[in-house]
Amino acid sequence: MSDHSTHGAHGHDEVVVDHTHHAHPASAGLFFAIYAALLFFTFLTVAIAEPVSGLHLGSASMFIAMLVASVKASLVMAVFMHLKWDTAMNNIAFLGSLIFLSLLFLFTISDVATRGQADPAASTPAEYQQPVFHEYEHKGGH
Amino acid sequence: MSGHAKVVTPTPDGGFATHEVAHHFKTAEQEYQSGKLAFWLFLATEVMLFGGLFAAYIIYHDVYPETFVAGGSTLNWKLGALNTVFLLTSSWTMAMGVRASQLSQKKALVGYLVVTWLFAAGFMVVKYFEYSGKLSEGVGPGYWFNPVPGSHYAEVLEGLPFPNLFFALYFTMTGIHGIHVLVGMILIGWLIVRAQKGHFHSGFYLPVDLIGLYWHVVDVIWIFLFPLLYLVP
Repeated sequence: MSDHSTHGAHGHDEVVVDHTHHAHPASAGLFFAIYAALLFFTFLTVAIAEPVSGLHLGSASMFIAMLVASVKASLVMAVFMHLKWDTAMNNIAFLGSLIFLSLLFLFTISDVATRGQADPAASTPAEYQQPVFHEYEHKGGH
Repeated sequence: MSGHAKVVTPTPDGGFATHEVAHHFKTAEQEYQSGKLAFWLFLATEVMLFGGLFAAYIIYHDVYPETFVAGGSTLNWKLGALNTVFLLTSSWTMAMGVRASQLSQKKALVGYLVVTWLFAAGFMVVKYFEYSGKLSEGVGPGYWFNPVPGSHYAEVLEGLPFPNLFFALYFTMTGIHGIHVLVGMILIGWLIVRAQKGHFHSGFYLPVDLIGLYWHVVDVIWIFLFPLLYLVP
């Protein structure tokens, strides 16, 4: 506590100024550069989307769209959310949640992407391909 | 140090309020880092909340891709892109607001917070028009999904399996996200009031920092919702 300075050290009026915390503001120029990059990637997201551009990227379109979104999210988290300069503890707390989320996605995708492939020799693999939903009784109007 | 001492953080000149460090913390740095860690853990629960919804999207998009592409085509991607720009801009002004609070720039802080709030409000106005347009055509979540016969929605979704699934996810994901935007507006409004009173400065800016983090997470979630719902790949 050597960095505490004491003012008016008389009985209950004593006030101690604690200088242990220091703010480390990031540069305004960097924030603007990230903002500009985010706008560019938003433009890219729209420009490569099939409903807008008519580009037929097939099954790669989801991968590319999520890649661009992940780059945008990483820029926000690293710079706007200061994770780049934050403590290891805070990085582990938050990025840990993203790692576990990626496990959820990994197993979900490996399930839905491989349905019907468990037994290639089956005569009617189509039976395995999709879960069956039963039409529910529609209670709404019209 | 006496047990009766009042521990405060440094207060810069210029009409700022002095921040007293809560008595259960040893130092201002410990108070700051405790608040930050707790908030990062809260944000991890937010990731899990939306993560489950994204997992549901992955499954149903894979099972009914045509339904999802058709459902997405009924959404106005220009409004979605406009709202993306609104949130990105507000995220940037929020980051600049946190910076202003760290530099004890009271006027700049209030200005950035007000701009952030206005873009959040703009987002909700666009969302209001999108929702009301759908609900008036009988396109709502779950029980309320009954597209009016002859409407654009009924024509585009004709013959496709379970179009209600896409719209249930659309309303649930954008609805929970929209509630987060409204909560963010309340929190930012509270920051504006306190900032005007000079509560935030280089010696104490934790509330601005934490609500900023919350606001950026709201932005990050939308970064994924926009392509998945409006431009269904």
